Amino acid sequence: MKNIHINGQPHSFALDEAGNIEQVLALFFNGQKQSTFALALNGEFVGKADYANTSVNNGDSLDIMLPIQGG
Amino acid sequence: MSLTIYGQQLNSRLLIGSALYSSPELMKRAILASGSQVVTLSLKRQNPSEKSGAKIWQYIQETVTEVDGFLLPNTAGCRSAQEVFTLAQMSREIFQTDWIKLETIGDDYNLQPDPIELIKATEILIKDGFKVLPYCTDDLVICQRLWDLGCEVIMPWASPIGTGKGLMNPYNLETIRMRLPEATLILDAGIGKPSDACLAMEMGYDGILLNSAVALADNPVAMAQAFSGAINAGEQAYVAGIMQQRQTAQPSTPTLDTPFWHQPGVN
Repeated sequence: MKNIHINGQPHSFALDEAGNIEQVLALFFNGQKQSTFALALNGEFVGKADYANTSVNNGDSLDIMLPIQGG
Repeated sequence: MSLTIYGQQLNSRLLIGSALYSSPELMKRAILASGSQVVTLSLKRQNPSEKSGAKIWQYIQETVTEVDGFLLPNTAGCRSAQEVFTLAQMSREIFQTDWIKLETIGDDYNLQPDPIELIKATEILIKDGFKVLPYCTDDLVICQRLWDLGCEVIMPWASPIGTGKGLMNPYNLETIRMRLPEATLILDAGIGKPSDACLAMEMGYDGILLNSAVALADNPVAMAQAFSGAINAGEQAYVAGIMQQRQTAQPSTPTLDTPFWHQPGVN
């Protein structure tokens, strides 16, 4: 199990030590269709191309960001 | 008259925000009425499966496509150069643009930009290939530093964001214009009335960025049109050349040979 914060909320995922961002997102989204988003791991941007090769460790924080109105 | 931002020619000198409208439909109508081709937007933490954000994003996309325009993502809410860099990279991936409206909040009361973090963030972003449009105070030296770092566009505030107080310090704004003649200067934040925008354009500013003044009007669509007209009027006046102010009255009608001319000392 890995305990990971997503958008500030605690989540537990059945992942081994080699778990990566792509695997975390697959478990988090649970097959639901997703809109456009970008992501940061522990406050640093990770591009979509790197999701599969970026490890996620116990206690890490993921921020998932979506477009909103802005001034 | 067109405005050029980082090589992109625009038909309007108004840049407009997408926030604070009572509905996405009204936002779209107001932006279309404004004639603007640059629409600001942002990112926030949200679960992608929530549908509310997706609808707004769809409306903004439709609107920008309709006006053959450009997205200008901001870094609202960031307080440090590191936060800015992370958000800017996310924006670039989602919005497919290297334009970034750089905001670094320094104070919770007046939401004044933090000039120290602003300069740090600008250096980092430019080094990473971003085209930076920094939102800053009306501090001449900060504006000069931003220009020296490579910002082709600089966006000093008129007054604190969302106040609608208009041009707090016209002297500072005029001085920035005079000292940075080559910079594209866009007045950003604090605009309340179309006359505020007109005044800035009469000073020689290149454009206006606003949101609240349109979105919070009783009739945002009509107000968007009013701002468009005011910005055009101010720009035309600047190009036409505004007369010098004089200390004494001068008759505009020729007085020579008028029948009731009163010569000094003659009753």
